[in-house]
Amino acid sequence: MSTLVCRDINKSYKDKEVLKGVNLTIESGKIYGLIGRNGVGKTTLLSIMTAQNPANSGSVEFDGMKVWENREALDHLCFSREINTVSTLGQNTMKVKDYFKIASVYYPKWDNNMANKLIEQFGISPKKRVNKMSKGMLSMITIAIGLASKADITILDEPVAGLDVVAREDFYRMLIEEQQATGRTFIISTHIIEEAANVFEEVIFLHNGKVLLKENTAELLDRAKHIAGLNDEVDKVCQGIKTYHEENMGRSKSVTVLLEEGQKLGDSNDVTVQPVSLQNLFVALCGREG
Amino acid sequence: MQEILSQEKSIYIQISEMIENDILRGILLEEERVPSTNELAKIYAINPATAAKGINILVDSGVLYKKRGIGMFVSEGAKEHILQNRKNSFYENFVKALIDEAVKLGITKEELTHMIMEER
Repeated sequence: MSTLVCRDINKSYKDKEVLKGVNLTIESGKIYGLIGRNGVGKTTLLSIMTAQNPANSGSVEFDGMKVWENREALDHLCFSREINTVSTLGQNTMKVKDYFKIASVYYPKWDNNMANKLIEQFGISPKKRVNKMSKGMLSMITIAIGLASKADITILDEPVAGLDVVAREDFYRMLIEEQQATGRTFIISTHIIEEAANVFEEVIFLHNGKVLLKENTAELLDRAKHIAGLNDEVDKVCQGIKTYHEENMGRSKSVTVLLEEGQKLGDSNDVTVQPVSLQNLFVALCGREG
Repeated sequence: MQEILSQEKSIYIQISEMIENDILRGILLEEERVPSTNELAKIYAINPATAAKGINILVDSGVLYKKRGIGMFVSEGAKEHILQNRKNSFYENFVKALIDEAVKLGITKEELTHMIMEER
């Protein structure tokens, strides 16, 4: 059982504090979803976890080994990043197979067969040049590299960006199948929360530079409720319970709650209690006023 | 196992209810193997842990049992068992909701009884 542990990670870009003491433990054999608003530092965190970006303070350890400049630890990690179509030298004219070549050197367990099979499934030729690709095709290459890296802990940053709905569903199935077959760990960041919610065994909400929560997705949704009704009735039901995302309309109001262990909603004869989707919960917790 | 997953309930509860429905409808027969956690995960593109949670509910209630190394099977008497369980929760799930709504609308006991008696 390998683990990746982040301890008190801080990171600033010039005056802007992005990560303010991130603590996170990634356990093996799970698919994690990393969710956070634009600019909250998801990519920064993921690149720090894989030693591609130095933190100002804090540590990242894989199985007790520091990952920074440590080949032995990094051999187990893969961060498949977005491919740029332009480099500092102009157009990026590298071919897909060139990327696979580089990956084969970088990842000790690289599976070239798998990489080729995946892009064939996506309908991309290995001779295709990167600067001739659409956003969706670039995502497919990042996915192929991530899956074929066979790394114990594989991180995909917004892998479904630009993919159409059929390709997205294909990706979720590929991911689940690969995870089942190998027991590898995956961390997936995404903005398309709703459709991926069922794929994640655990979700991590990154908010205001910190990990707001990290929890089993099903258990989290079980304790999330949306309550609507007459003002006083809603207050009565939620007495002593922390409420989020209160919205008022005339005499009615609605709130979202996350019930703690053993906590129960109060009695009322007339409020509507509904389950909350992961997307709505995220909005309630991390939205503007959250 | 052809239903569509909805947002209205927890996914694992929907998985367990779908298997129960398939048993009640004769889609899955007693002593027959049910789809594995892996198969369910793939069919619905859901996390295997969630699928396993749905299966485990049915194992705990005795509807399914595990044959080591082969998979999950429908227990003998499962259909009867599910019917009994559903009858037990019928009051909580349907009768109570019916009465709550009737009270809200100011329907009297007599009126409600009358409606039920008239039906069928």
